[in-house]
Amino acid sequence: MAASVHLILQPPPNHHRPIFRLRRRPVRCADERQALFSRIAPVYDNLNDVLSLGQHRIWKRMAVSWSGAKEGNNVLDLCCGSGDLAFLLSEKVGPNGKVIGLDFSKEQLSVASSRQHSRSKACFNNIEWVEGNTLELPFSDCYFDAITMGYGLRNVINFHKAMEEMYRVLKPSSQVSILDFNKSTDTFSASFQEWMIDNVVVTVANGYGFAEEYKYLKSSIQEFLTGKELEKLALGVGFAKSKHFEIGGGLMGNLVATR
Amino acid sequence: MVKASRVLLRDGGLAISKTLSEILVCPLSKQPLRICEKSNSLISDATGVSFPIVDGIPCLVPNDGKIIDTDDMPKPEGAAIDSADKIGT
Repeated sequence: MAASVHLILQPPPNHHRPIFRLRRRPVRCADERQALFSRIAPVYDNLNDVLSLGQHRIWKRMAVSWSGAKEGNNVLDLCCGSGDLAFLLSEKVGPNGKVIGLDFSKEQLSVASSRQHSRSKACFNNIEWVEGNTLELPFSDCYFDAITMGYGLRNVINFHKAMEEMYRVLKPSSQVSILDFNKSTDTFSASFQEWMIDNVVVTVANGYGFAEEYKYLKSSIQEFLTGKELEKLALGVGFAKSKHFEIGGGLMGNLVATR
Repeated sequence: MVKASRVLLRDGGLAISKTLSEILVCPLSKQPLRICEKSNSLISDATGVSFPIVDGIPCLVPNDGKIIDTDDMPKPEGAAIDSADKIGT
């Protein structure tokens, strides 16, 4: 089977290539992260439930609420994975709306698609899955009424570029709602979070054969941005308002930014 | 509720819905794409690149794209279409 080739194309005049960040990051490149998420795809949903004691469902409902998505809207869920947020958005926007779930992992999208077809709710017909890159979105400017991103931003290799793309494809006055682990500036919270990952998350993940993959979680949180930094990043790319909310006892955070 | 009709491939498999094909643009040039039923792909005429559709899911990660040889460049619908040329690495 022929392998895909790297494209060497002349970018159009107004297209800015992502600037390679020279800051040394002890975490893996995009291809390795893609492979990681593809490997854990079969157990991802199960582990989310076990590790968060089902709480992730509540946090995701909050994220969808904060996005401002409503009936009839066209909405985008980035780094959709196996589709949790997309399914919630699907119920929100109804049969006259449209949800696009985008992810860079074929395996995760395959799980999402299977879940969609195995469920009986007719409104899930309003979801379309797209394999794509959050840093180079295949959508026109100012298209979506709302965007969500759950546990995705922390995993992209260029936060600034991702935020720029979200801004670009969002309609004016619309919102993006980004849920992820909270990188706390509070020493106690940060220590507790680290302890949880080392002693609970990795241990449980080990039982599923994915200890190494979930060890990545700790370094990715260390490399992530704090709530204040996320607010500043959003304002920096042009969002008119941005606010970061800590939830889940400070373990999780949700950035809400308005274009 | 009207279910969006999907473009059917010549072999009877599913491509993507027409609605989705109208939403999507080339991830690099941000120009419109068109469906090529014969090669089961989305073509960016602006860049001469085709992106595959696999199991009804369009693959629009830039690395998924294949440069179409100009001799085999699929024409817009109504004209004869040849399959996209794959350049091996």
